[in-house]
Amino acid sequence: MTTFPILTVITFLPLLAGAAIFLCGARVARWLALAGSLATLAVSVPLYLHFDKTSTGLQFVESVPWIPSWNVEYTMGIDGISLPFIFLSTVVSVLCVGASWTAVQVRVREFYAALLLAETAMIGLFAATTVFLFYVFWELMIVPMFLLIGVWGGPRRIHAAIKFLLFTLAGSVLMLVGLITLLRTSGTLDFEALATMRPSAQLQSWLFVAFTAAFAVKVPMFPVHTWLPDAHTEAPTAGSVILAGILLKMGGYGLLRIALPILPDAVRLFRTPMLALSALAIVYGAYVTLAQTDVKRLIAYSSISHMGFVTLGIFTLNRNGVEGAILQMVNHGIVTGALFLCVGMIYERTHTREIVAYGGVAKLAPVYSTFLALFCLAAAGLPGLNSFVGEFLIISGAFDTRPWYGVMAVWGVALGTTYILWLYYRVALGEVKPGLQALRLELDLREVATLAPMAALALTIGLYPESVLSFLRVSVEQLLVASAAQVGVAGGM
Amino acid sequence: MTDLVTVLPELILSGTAVVLILVARRVRRARSAAPWVVVAAVAAAFSLWAFSPATSMTGFGGTIASDRYARFFSLLFSGNLALAALLSVRHLDSERVQPAEYFALLLLASTGMMFAVAAVDLLILYLGLELMTLCSYVLVGIVRDKPAGNEASIKYFFLGSFASALLLYGIALTYGVTGATDFSAIASTVSRNGVTRHPMLLAGVGLVSGGLAFKIAAVPFHAWAPDVYQGAMAPVAAFLSAGSKAAGLAAFVRVCLVAFAPEQRIWSVMVVALAALSVMTGSLLAISQSRMKRMLAYSSIAHAGYALLGLVPGTPEGASATMTYAFVYAFMTLGAFGVVIALGPRGENLNGYRGLSTTAPGTAAVMFLFLLSLTGIPPTAGFTAKFAVILSAVRAGYIGLAVLAVLCSVVSAFFYLRVAVLMYMTEPQESESARLPLSVFAALAIAAAVTIVGGIFPNTLAVWAVPP
Repeated sequence: MTTFPILTVITFLPLLAGAAIFLCGARVARWLALAGSLATLAVSVPLYLHFDKTSTGLQFVESVPWIPSWNVEYTMGIDGISLPFIFLSTVVSVLCVGASWTAVQVRVREFYAALLLAETAMIGLFAATTVFLFYVFWELMIVPMFLLIGVWGGPRRIHAAIKFLLFTLAGSVLMLVGLITLLRTSGTLDFEALATMRPSAQLQSWLFVAFTAAFAVKVPMFPVHTWLPDAHTEAPTAGSVILAGILLKMGGYGLLRIALPILPDAVRLFRTPMLALSALAIVYGAYVTLAQTDVKRLIAYSSISHMGFVTLGIFTLNRNGVEGAILQMVNHGIVTGALFLCVGMIYERTHTREIVAYGGVAKLAPVYSTFLALFCLAAAGLPGLNSFVGEFLIISGAFDTRPWYGVMAVWGVALGTTYILWLYYRVALGEVKPGLQALRLELDLREVATLAPMAALALTIGLYPESVLSFLRVSVEQLLVASAAQVGVAGGM
Repeated sequence: MTDLVTVLPELILSGTAVVLILVARRVRRARSAAPWVVVAAVAAAFSLWAFSPATSMTGFGGTIASDRYARFFSLLFSGNLALAALLSVRHLDSERVQPAEYFALLLLASTGMMFAVAAVDLLILYLGLELMTLCSYVLVGIVRDKPAGNEASIKYFFLGSFASALLLYGIALTYGVTGATDFSAIASTVSRNGVTRHPMLLAGVGLVSGGLAFKIAAVPFHAWAPDVYQGAMAPVAAFLSAGSKAAGLAAFVRVCLVAFAPEQRIWSVMVVALAALSVMTGSLLAISQSRMKRMLAYSSIAHAGYALLGLVPGTPEGASATMTYAFVYAFMTLGAFGVVIALGPRGENLNGYRGLSTTAPGTAAVMFLFLLSLTGIPPTAGFTAKFAVILSAVRAGYIGLAVLAVLCSVVSAFFYLRVAVLMYMTEPQESESARLPLSVFAALAIAAAVTIVGGIFPNTLAVWAVPP
């Protein structure tokens, strides 16, 4: 497998499919997009089969000289941390194509081309092993998301698209200055090479601020989260799923990939404020979620709370916390992505997102309600379903180091159960609302096929978390040992 | 003979201009003259590639250099000329402009630009820049019955004359202190005689920089740009925004790095001030514009600032970054103006872009590409060029300036991508779509190709950008 550039193929196959869509008619666009995303998924299978779970280094490495004057190479490679995200990206993309089959009726070709461009950016980001390439894909992701929200979104889509654009750009340009400073001081932008160097503590702090500005906007962390509810609410279903499923993870992935190994001193310095902001996001996000009356907005705010767990886990800086954070990102992508799919499916029929318009859906659409119940319970953290494992690991990680933040997280879990079950109660149970009687709410086969993989994943990870954790273990250990050794803390966390 | 080889491209262009003027009475349609201009530009570019001596050499008593630096920019001017000629065809016929005269002026202005970048003597530099600007004054007001164009031309002329006076006065003061106009002689005299902080020389450096800053429309010498771009015909505005800026930057870089090398600390500070002011003013004032050409004018002011960032450290790498920026900017702005031209009268106003993606999807897509590139989003050439100049600023230790520059690029994202919002996210007002003439299509395709290739393979360009 060393000669076949599998990561490059997986990254750019969707782009090729997107270009091919423009050469064909709108009628074929859907099928081409489905074929392109399925082919990408199929090509990525050897990654999981041939992945060496015991190796600490990067695997499937490709390296080509690119811009010698800046000492930048085109290098790709993956380790246990990036693999789950590549899996998630390829799966979510296929489901997005399925979810948009009937929902998108205008500018179909452009829609699928944007979707596939987004897939290229996501996979490329997780496969990149230099900060430069990481940044290129990071910025590339903004363009299709901007179009997906702004062209195919809801009534206030332009406002949401511009807000998304300005927030993310403002964060990422600071990352640009950070990476240029890093290039100037270190002379390289390669992740592995940078991890062995150690900029001065003061420089690390500045770099941390610059990079975390970008990551915090994407996660989103507490004070810079305000773009998310708008973007989530106005985006089309596929846009919301990509936002929740992948885009938010890019921030957490950046923290793991750049902040922790390259800027360990700064991470220690900023640890307490970051933990505090995370805990604040969990509790504040949960309370705001309780007050929502719009289904999509409710799930959007719940994302802020759930992503707070991720940053909390990362900054516990111990094995349980970091593994839990990665798992929580994957789980959140599955569960919240699935919830957005569910909302999108029913919205297509009722054309309202107001919770008060719903009620008694379980009587009219038992299959739909079963799926909804499953994903709501998963989001609430029911043992046996996937989110429980991640949240449990994060909370135990927090109790190991900073118990009070663990208490905050438990409080967040309790609130999370409240808002998500209350949502289910209001939508699916109770009296059937008069407006819903005449509608055919039950899912068709295509929609069942779209939701079923998510449900299967939620169950698999919930019952057998090792299916993901086994990939992570060595890489996370390596990450923590490397960063701990540099900051001079002995292993036993 | 060797002297003539050094100015071969200039000879081709000015020769074509003379021929066009001689046969002017027979040339009635722009379509019949434009191909000749394109051929002349291609021939000039070819002669640069084929007949230029392998090593750097000077001719005409050491006043005109034929080095890789001059060749890089001459190539840029050939491209600029060819694209401008392609973009002009439709406007000339609809505005009833004499095509032969118009194209002759374009050719002569390009000749002036080439002389300005090849000059290694302040007087030749002045002559080259004057040839360029004198032709530009006429080009801006070439539609005689349009008051806006006349007003722009007069404004440009008065402010331009003032700037030329500054430049000439600066040259005189420099000559007064050093007794030389030759770049390397100035530098060696200054270091040998130890007059680095001579007040007259400092005044000379300041005045020459001011005069050149006018050509690249850097703040505070930018006041002419919005009115001139707005009043001039769109192809002329495109030609000036790409060519005049590149010529000014090329002259600026060579004068600073070679002639005023001993004064590096002085001009470095000035360049920082010019860059910071230009980036801020250009980005902030562009927000409130509702006319496309005016917005592009303010954007060109901001881009002058970005390009100057490369000059801040005064190193060869930095100069190379500025050269690349000038090259990339020329093609992105030609592309953006090309779309304005392709849309006809509808393209002049921002509201004309409403729903463009439904009426003309191809045009909207290339416009989106140019806007992304102007904003500096990868994988376009605008990003790699911006990366290189910001790297230069950081290398010189001006991290604050770098942060300012990137924050201004977020501001610029707002007004560039507002056009994208109009194109993609609003409904069209009128549904008729003008047919894209082949010449405009070709120009847009070339500009788009440069924008994409420069973004994905930035090294191809960087290899050619050899500083003086």
